[in-house]
Amino acid sequence: MAQTKIYLDDAIPSPAMKVWRVFASKPQALAGLWGVGMLLLLTLVGHYLAPFAAEFQDPDALLLPPSWNSNGTVEHFLGTDDLGRDIFSRLLYGVQLTFGTAVAIVSSALVVGVIIGSISGMMSGLKSSILGHLLDALLSIPSLLMAILVVAVTGPGLSNVFWAVGISLTPQFVRAIHQTVHEELQKEYVTAARLDGANALQIFWYVIMPNVWETVIIQTTLAVSAAILDIAALGFLNLGAQAPQPEWGTMVLQGLDSFLTAPWTVTIPGLAILLSVLSVNLVGDGLRSALTPMRN
Amino acid sequence: MLRFTGKLRLRLSSCTLLGLALVGCGPLPVPSGLVYCSEGNPESFNPQTVTSGTTIDATSHQIYNRLIDDNPYTGEFIPALATSWHVSKDGLNYDFELRHGVNFQDRPYFHPTRQFNADDVVFSFERIIDKNNPFHFVSRTGYPFFESIGFEKLIKRVVKLDSDKVRFELNYPDASFMANMATDFAVILSKEYADQLQASGHMSDIDSKAVGTGPFMLVDYVKNEYIRFRRHPGYWGTIPSADQLVFDITPRSTIRLSKLIVGDCSISALPKAGELPVVAAHENLTLESQPGMNVAYWAFNTRKPPLDNIKVRQALAYAIDKQNLLRAVYQDTAVEASGILPPSSWAYTGTALDYQYNPQKARDLLKQAGIRNLSIDIWAMPVARIYNPNSQKTAELIQADLAAVGVRANIVSYDWSVFTRKLSSSNYDSVLIGWSADNSDPDNFYTPLLSCGSVASKSNRSNWCNAQYDKLINRAKVITDKGERTELYRQAEEVIDAEVPLVPLAYAKRMLLKHTDAPPILLMPFGGIGFNDMGNKGQQ
Amino acid sequence: MANYLIRRLNLFIATSLLLIGILFYATHLFPVDLGYALSGIQYPTDAQEAQIIEDYRLDKGSVRQFLAYTGERLSGNLGVSVTSKRPISEELLLALPASFELAFVAGLIALVFGVPLGVIAALTHHSALKKFIMAGTLTGYSIPVFWLGLTLALWFGVKLGWLPISGQINLLYEIRPVTGFMLLDTLLSDSPYRIAAFRDALLHIILPAVTLAVLPFTVVVRITRAAMVNVMGQTYIRAAEARGLPYSKIVLRHALPNALIPLLKHIGLMLGPFASYAIVVEVIFSWPGIGSWLVSGIYQRDYTVIQSGILAVALLIVFSSILIEVLYTLANPLSRKEFYGSN
Repeated sequence: MAQTKIYLDDAIPSPAMKVWRVFASKPQALAGLWGVGMLLLLTLVGHYLAPFAAEFQDPDALLLPPSWNSNGTVEHFLGTDDLGRDIFSRLLYGVQLTFGTAVAIVSSALVVGVIIGSISGMMSGLKSSILGHLLDALLSIPSLLMAILVVAVTGPGLSNVFWAVGISLTPQFVRAIHQTVHEELQKEYVTAARLDGANALQIFWYVIMPNVWETVIIQTTLAVSAAILDIAALGFLNLGAQAPQPEWGTMVLQGLDSFLTAPWTVTIPGLAILLSVLSVNLVGDGLRSALTPMRN
Repeated sequence: MLRFTGKLRLRLSSCTLLGLALVGCGPLPVPSGLVYCSEGNPESFNPQTVTSGTTIDATSHQIYNRLIDDNPYTGEFIPALATSWHVSKDGLNYDFELRHGVNFQDRPYFHPTRQFNADDVVFSFERIIDKNNPFHFVSRTGYPFFESIGFEKLIKRVVKLDSDKVRFELNYPDASFMANMATDFAVILSKEYADQLQASGHMSDIDSKAVGTGPFMLVDYVKNEYIRFRRHPGYWGTIPSADQLVFDITPRSTIRLSKLIVGDCSISALPKAGELPVVAAHENLTLESQPGMNVAYWAFNTRKPPLDNIKVRQALAYAIDKQNLLRAVYQDTAVEASGILPPSSWAYTGTALDYQYNPQKARDLLKQAGIRNLSIDIWAMPVARIYNPNSQKTAELIQADLAAVGVRANIVSYDWSVFTRKLSSSNYDSVLIGWSADNSDPDNFYTPLLSCGSVASKSNRSNWCNAQYDKLINRAKVITDKGERTELYRQAEEVIDAEVPLVPLAYAKRMLLKHTDAPPILLMPFGGIGFNDMGNKGQQ
Repeated sequence: MANYLIRRLNLFIATSLLLIGILFYATHLFPVDLGYALSGIQYPTDAQEAQIIEDYRLDKGSVRQFLAYTGERLSGNLGVSVTSKRPISEELLLALPASFELAFVAGLIALVFGVPLGVIAALTHHSALKKFIMAGTLTGYSIPVFWLGLTLALWFGVKLGWLPISGQINLLYEIRPVTGFMLLDTLLSDSPYRIAAFRDALLHIILPAVTLAVLPFTVVVRITRAAMVNVMGQTYIRAAEARGLPYSKIVLRHALPNALIPLLKHIGLMLGPFASYAIVVEVIFSWPGIGSWLVSGIYQRDYTVIQSGILAVALLIVFSSILIEVLYTLANPLSRKEFYGSN
């Protein structure tokens, strides 16, 4: 027997659903999401899609312009660099180095940040204040300076970028989470829960944590875009990934040698960085405006 | 007065751009002078203490003079601070008659009270050879060029005969002695200044606050930024027409070219081959080029396993595709090297056997040597040099070639000063480096690069010492007959070819970019750049 | 009030000490001899060696060493540079003003163009214009600064030949540093070429300053817009409208000053990224400031340069952010509860 609905009951959307609806109503945010999705996918499978190996040098195709130029070939879709390496393939390999590393750094910083931030947020008094000062000191060292310090100690390389950017991102997470937890802790619903007899752990996990996630999400998107820019800037300054690794910033640096004759060797990796950061920022922007009404 | 069309264009358009810029329009008056975009920081202001071309360029022909100069085209020696010279029959005594009326530069930190005389010559060379000279150990880096040619052993003593006559007494005859006196390293310092420094206890200033007799005097040096020279009004030769000479230190060649285009400098050093089409496209820029007396090579540290194994070295020599390297790095600005002596030398024979690109043979040789999964470091210079405009790129090409024969290569690079410092510790596998001659004598290649004596002085980057080779080049040094010497050097090349302490890569052209209206520069096949040489060389 | 200022001062001192501590620790990790890392003298004579041990208490425990290190650094003994053999403090004093000059001009550009654009974005009824401004700022926020700098240099420097792309001034002008600000020094100099030199310096600063201004500009636009939207919805604006004040007066006299307060706070937060960007911009345009000095220091493994550069920049950031916070508190009555201490 067919069931017919007699009452038009409004399905009440879950909070996540609400956020999604607001988010999805913005085309630019969706475009950003697609971009980020693509990047994540390419991080995993970019290697398999690349027509050439990242370090393959074609001695007969030095500084070939992109395919839309009359001198370009379709074979090397985005042209080649001064060693005859296919820029398109290098970009695909580079997704893992630039975007992938950024995501990895942010994830690690996130885990550390959430742990330290929550614990310190639940604390109060002197310990919390000391931690606050330590964080302020660390925060006042810009990521690039931190990287210079790390490189001075260990020498350049992608693994050091991991530490440098990680060390400068973690305090941001810690501070954001610390503050949010601290603020939430003062609110009445927490007091209510405490009066109900919840212990500290329960308060933290069931009462406060659900309200911290928003901060975490916003902070994460901000951090990913900052991390991509930092990794690329360090690569460009020759303090991060080293040639011939196809990290995008490093590619810009290498292209610099033939910048005046073959500007695409600089322009194309630069555009790749720009578009990736833009996608992340679009998603971040969309999320922020989707979450804001809920917060107020 | 230099003003360029590029500069004018800049003024005009910036007027439209900044029409409201409080200061009005019209071409900007620029003080008279010459800006040279150079590639790096000098390590010192005394060429005696270094071998790097960057330092030579900044000092040798600007601040200082030598006793004699070398005419690059005829190979003859021409008078500089010495007006004439005489060699004894046995070839053991060289007498130099010194020039009169030569003034030292008057600087805020030193006011000369006397003119140049024999004491200055004696001091300048005693400092190098005499360990008891108070200034000998002031140089922390030693005297690498003089050590590499065994100067200490060669010179018995330097004697002042009278105030304008000096005698060099040699322990044994040496055909390259005069050529070595004409190198950029054999500059003349002021004894009076040295005495003043010794009295005041600032002895190390002798190599940084330089005083010489040259056409330009050092005014100011800000590292990474610029070196400013002012013309020496009391110069004994033709006084430079430009008031100022500024070295604008710009390590990146693209930026040097851009500065040249924009007009911030009028002469620019060491262009990369890939940039030459840009120069051709700008009609106010010209390229000066000249086949150079230099060689770029890949040196193996023959004291470090597994590169002490000759089979491994041969395999690596077979593994690299030099033709491809020439095309990608040098384009048309170099020729493939067959040995360490370039074709512009009179002793060049070009008969040395060559390792042709043969990856299969390389693999076989490695197998014979019983080496698997070989992994080596390639040290690549961070800066452009005359002989190699882009070592990093060279290293990457070699890396790819080696990967094809199953050898993993790891590229190591530091900033130039750190690079040379670390190279001296001899803890590398292989290094991409080269040599640019300082004089026209072929010995200037064979002795500093591969002789046993040069291992200690660190200019032998292969750390290679071979008795047979040393015997050949030492014999060639004491005879004067060019034909005989040529034959000996040919045999020396054969030894190198069999032992492969290094793989010669290319002989590069010497290149310089300049504005068409900048004053002409005499580009020599060897030695440092001089901004006042036109006058002198033309005269004498 | 005094209490509040003392607390901020304490914060500054505590943070600075921590920073010095971090650097002190890092100095021990540098892969060179400790005395060399501290003093910059690679081959000390016996007398210098003894002096270094004496200065930094290298024969004592690590606490004494730390105190000695702090004392030396704060008294201005930053060691010497191994590449130039000159005292670091001298080089630092030469490089700092150039960086300030660049940062100041860039900041000025960002504010002069950013604030009006933010106000327009907040008030306009053209949704296309609003979207354009917002899209533009988001793009500006996402641009890798080194790439932007290179592209501008390529177009305006090399292709069009309009602007110089490197350095502070044509080196043929010999300008004696007085204030360290090249733009002022050229005017103060007694050279017959001073006006020409000033114009040359002005042309030289355009590209780096514009490149560096992009990040603060986008932030200023976005914050001003958000703050303006917020302020314009407040009741006192409606009251002012009800009184019949002209719109321009409402915006300029009543709304904008209040909208600028949050901007102040965000400028404080922006200092870190701004410094990072400034370092990159200085490197690209060979601007002789502290950023390019520091980066060549790392290339040259000049450990004293690295330490002092990081210390100087970080201290400046700490100091400025605390200063901005104080100003913010003074300007914003709502946050004055801070005076009385809570948390």
